[in-house]
Amino acid sequence: MVNPTKPLPVVNEWARPFWDGAREHKLLLQRCSDCGKYVFYPRMCCPECFSSNLEWVESSGRGVVYSFTVVETNAPSAFLQDVPYVVAIVRLEEGVQMLSNIVDWDSTTLKCDMPVTVTFEKLNEEFTLPKFKPI
Amino acid sequence: MSNLRGKFAIIGTGEVPTGRFPEKAAIYHAIESARRAIEDAGIRKEDIDFVMPTASLYNPAFNTELVTCRVIEELGLKNARTNCQIFSGGSSGSCFIKLGGSLIAAGVATCVLCVHADRLGTGVTAQGGIDLFSTAGISPEWEVPYGQHYSSIAALATTRYQHETGCTDEQLAAVCVSNRRWAELNPNAYFRKPLTIDEVLSSKVLSTPLRAKESNMLFDGGSALILSAADRARDLCEKPVYFLGEGSRVTHYVFSQEPDVTRYGWRGAAKDAFTEAGLTPQDIDVAEIYDSYPIFQIIAFEEVGFCKRGEAGAMHLSGDTWPGGKIPTTTNGGMLSQGHTGAGGGVALLVEAARQLMGKAGERQVPGARFALETGTGGTYMDAHVSILGTEIF
Repeated sequence: MVNPTKPLPVVNEWARPFWDGAREHKLLLQRCSDCGKYVFYPRMCCPECFSSNLEWVESSGRGVVYSFTVVETNAPSAFLQDVPYVVAIVRLEEGVQMLSNIVDWDSTTLKCDMPVTVTFEKLNEEFTLPKFKPI
Repeated sequence: MSNLRGKFAIIGTGEVPTGRFPEKAAIYHAIESARRAIEDAGIRKEDIDFVMPTASLYNPAFNTELVTCRVIEELGLKNARTNCQIFSGGSSGSCFIKLGGSLIAAGVATCVLCVHADRLGTGVTAQGGIDLFSTAGISPEWEVPYGQHYSSIAALATTRYQHETGCTDEQLAAVCVSNRRWAELNPNAYFRKPLTIDEVLSSKVLSTPLRAKESNMLFDGGSALILSAADRARDLCEKPVYFLGEGSRVTHYVFSQEPDVTRYGWRGAAKDAFTEAGLTPQDIDVAEIYDSYPIFQIIAFEEVGFCKRGEAGAMHLSGDTWPGGKIPTTTNGGMLSQGHTGAGGGVALLVEAARQLMGKAGERQVPGARFALETGTGGTYMDAHVSILGTEIF
């Protein structure tokens, strides 16, 4: 059986700098120049104060696991070859949340609120996905 | 909260059995459910002037049939002036009554037929269903590339909820057992054999800690409701079910942006609904809670106020939610046992709430039920809708 290729992110124009950054192993967030709030995922305007003055800043890449699961069976077709894999919601130090995968994991130490740091996994020449590993 | 309290009523419901029917076209489920609802209400088909179909997920061509008035032509609804699709995923049932009721209160419609049909049991393959639900409502930019799926979403909610409350695997499995107890009494349910905690816990793990028997399954099916103004309702049917209150909140689009995966917007939605209705959770006789996975039934049950946080699991285990229990819950068996038909899982719960209040719930009738609470939530549990219905306007 041929494994379907991994789904690539369907990119919105205003989010392009995020994916350009990931390719260079930088985790970029937006920060609102008017209210100071960090924003993820990238928006056209600040979801807090509606300002259009959003600047790109590099995240520390550190955060904690808000929640996680080990996908063991019934994965989407393109991920059947990867089971078991870990899907997690990570809360970054900057106060934003994102979905990702935990790599280099060990089922005995995976837990809520465990500290993690960003790492990068190349999908193809265009896309690199930010993922997280335990600290 | 709305100003619709006591303004309109559900006067009839119709439903076809949930299951796998390869020989039946999707439109059959819509036509037959609608026909049964018209007969149940005891009205003439010519009384209907507004038709609201919800959307189908299995096939865009069938969805177009729903949009382009096929139900009206098939049933010969000669006085239907408008056909307009209403869709908010699993909360479509909640939106049916709010929007249909608003049109009636505003004088735009007098008698609204709300109908759902889909064919997710035989219209898609098992892996096709998994792939559909690893994209439908899941962000193609921020979640699909990480292998997200509805099972992993339910598992993420479960992991965090267990971490914060100490809810056990056994208590989560008890939701499946509780809903199965009701489904045993429901001729339209797909799964009707008794189920034990051990059977749930020994089924294969999908995404930790979620197991196969804690997942809904997709089927073919349909259901329908008929709404009319409250002041006409008593003349049209014997036992109208009056709308008493509603509340809703939206808390995310991308699941991983949800600020609290152990709560969502239920508390605020319920507070508004109870305020409008002039009731409290203690007044409710039947709770129809959206249950696509056990964790979402547990969270909504607590957040709308039937118990304190962290106690819902024990109540499902002890029998409080079972037939004969303190607070009969999800009495059609829910998506875990009656079966999930797409947007119809929520519509079926609303139909069940109305049937219970009309005294037409057969073997699973909750004796003397006067007030029912119904919840609906769409997509990745992004919205929380609470409706309260009653046998009287007090």
